[in-house]
Amino acid sequence: MSALRWGRGRAALAAGAVSLLTLAGCGNGGSSGGNADGEVGGEVRMLVNLTPNLDQSYWEELVAPFEEATGVSVEIEAPTGSSVAESFPQQLAAGTAPDVIQSIFPDDDTLPQLVDLSDLPWTEGTPMVDDYAIDGSRYVVGVGSQTQSLVFYNKTAFEEAGIAEPPATWAEFTEALGLLDEAGYTPLQTAGQFQTGLQLQQLYHPTLNTAHPRWQTSVADEELSAGEAYLPMFQHYADWLEAGYIAQDDVGLDPAAADGAFLEGTVGLYPQGSWFATTLKSGGEPPFEVGVFSPPVDEGQEYPGPQGATMAYPYMINAASGNISSAQALVEYLVTDETAIQSQLTADGVFRQGAETADDPVLAQVQAILDEAPGLVAVGEGFGDTRLPVTGFNPKFTEIVQGLYTGQSPQEAADALDDWVSENR
Amino acid sequence: MARTLTKTVPERAAAAPAEAAGPAARRGRRGWRGWRDAGARLTMVAPALVLYVGLLVVPVGYAVYYSFTDYNGFPQQIPEFIGWENYQRVFQSADITDSMVVTGTIALVGAILVNAAALGLALLLQRTGGFTTFGRVVMFYPHVLSALVVGFLWQAILGPQGVVNTMLEKAGRSSMPFLSDPTWALWTLIFVISWSLFGVQLVLYLAGLQTVPADLVEAARIDGAGRWQTFRAVTWPALAPTFSVALITSGISLLKTYDVVVSLTGGGPAGSTQTLAYSILAVSFPGRQIGLASAEAVVLIIAAAILAFTVLALRRRAEEGAESIG
Repeated sequence: MSALRWGRGRAALAAGAVSLLTLAGCGNGGSSGGNADGEVGGEVRMLVNLTPNLDQSYWEELVAPFEEATGVSVEIEAPTGSSVAESFPQQLAAGTAPDVIQSIFPDDDTLPQLVDLSDLPWTEGTPMVDDYAIDGSRYVVGVGSQTQSLVFYNKTAFEEAGIAEPPATWAEFTEALGLLDEAGYTPLQTAGQFQTGLQLQQLYHPTLNTAHPRWQTSVADEELSAGEAYLPMFQHYADWLEAGYIAQDDVGLDPAAADGAFLEGTVGLYPQGSWFATTLKSGGEPPFEVGVFSPPVDEGQEYPGPQGATMAYPYMINAASGNISSAQALVEYLVTDETAIQSQLTADGVFRQGAETADDPVLAQVQAILDEAPGLVAVGEGFGDTRLPVTGFNPKFTEIVQGLYTGQSPQEAADALDDWVSENR
Repeated sequence: MARTLTKTVPERAAAAPAEAAGPAARRGRRGWRGWRDAGARLTMVAPALVLYVGLLVVPVGYAVYYSFTDYNGFPQQIPEFIGWENYQRVFQSADITDSMVVTGTIALVGAILVNAAALGLALLLQRTGGFTTFGRVVMFYPHVLSALVVGFLWQAILGPQGVVNTMLEKAGRSSMPFLSDPTWALWTLIFVISWSLFGVQLVLYLAGLQTVPADLVEAARIDGAGRWQTFRAVTWPALAPTFSVALITSGISLLKTYDVVVSLTGGGPAGSTQTLAYSILAVSFPGRQIGLASAEAVVLIIAAAILAFTVLALRRRAEEGAESIG
């Protein structure tokens, strides 16, 4: 029986995790050392995602001038779970949520827990602030944008394949894939896990948002179905898989291995976000010249199309913070201080429209694409008021795109997407 | 019970004055002693009881409660009672029922693999010696590794650009779709999980083999029994309780498979390796569907309980059958 009890206990752990959300307390956390009269001072807790580029010491150095100037003590906290997205809701429920939250965005569930920043004059003009506004109210401010719709390419491979210019339409793109294949290169590098769905979206943002501006809202209003929106791109993928331009095996490939394959020089085209420019920079000199272009669009559409983008370094403030004045002062410093902005832009491959062109040639190309883009558009599930009526879109989308690799037809994939949206709407 | 039937000499001596004082006094002293004993017992049981209730009963109770509600996990939202809706969704959603089938397959096939490998190796390594000790350490080693590390390790070995496929390509052979074909990916996942789990079962079987009576084994051999006959007639019956424990623990471990899925396949390709635990932790919880996640968790608890009770019931029936023959 002891084995039985042990087993039930272990199985119950998954269920028990639920209760942890409510067991711990009734408050919403924040610092207790705040100033009730609204003066700046005391302690501010800031929850951040720690990465190899943005580690604990980076954050501490970033906020050090603010601490010195204001006397506020900033406590940098790592997520208690695997990410801020996972930890923040748990901390809110447990009454231990921090004052400032970095790296995630507001949604219908978190909105009541956040400070409305709309009346603060310094939020004006910060990157994408109104794109992320919900019902006209600003709950998140950021430093720059991460450009999502980029195709990195091997210039040497292009020369050997006889491709003079990066393709601007899907017909030219498919032709380029054929030429790269004939030249002995992997025409289009894709990968498994989260990256399968992400790459298809990255390639399709400009076309989709030109054909259906704010397509997420159209789906929410039931004027367009998600399957209908993505069907043409599913068809492209199915054609490329059939032609062997995309390796069916890629669906089991670790994304890091896909990065490595491109860096080795055996790949022609690699759809990625702007963060890959930083990977290239830190990965040493590749054995070829790297080019970047905005993904193609349909015949007759304006090229380049709108760029899929997300706000970089998003900051939000916990409405239950005991030190809102200091939290606001900290966020103001992070998104308006020139030195702080420059530090954040360079630390994580973040771009800002109109910013000074970077010295690195790849970073400069990305900056140029961002500057030339006719607009920045919501990606995936969307943001601000441009949102799908469902949550969990990206993982499901990846699963459906992987179905194309394992024999599902484009129409079946589109139907599966519509079924899922209907089920979860 | 023995204390009331037979008294020791000191006990009799202690009881003598009380008996002399009359029945009322005796009842009073017995009553006081009874309360004192009950209090002492309660004091000793209470810490364990508090821990058990706090860490097991309360969380499971909350999970059951939430499974009947619509709740996003935030304190501002009051859980709304929605009856059996989450359970209906669990059994109507193709995604979740598919994950149940995957989980069941992993638990069934994996339990067979894990126990067959562990028992076979335990029989090989049961004798004490330098080599067998080294062998035991090597065989237990996979279990020491974090499940996430195990996944990344086998991804590097079996992935499309992993060691095995690179060698196959260099040998002029076509690559194997270990992780890129839905069926292959499921079998690869089962193999990797079994590899990482069987160390504990190996230790259980090695301990179980120590309890096999040496004289019975010797007697069987003297009677001319071969190795297989000795195993079937002597070793296996003695190992049966160990087998039950090993089967239940491995089955439950396999039912809640999550970490290896995350690091080896990410639930793919096309959702073909999504387990129920993965669906709870990587799909429903992040989607803030606490009610649905709780309903899935309750289903998982029930599945684990059914597995444990079934194995124990089968074991009891087998024992009763053996006793009736004897």
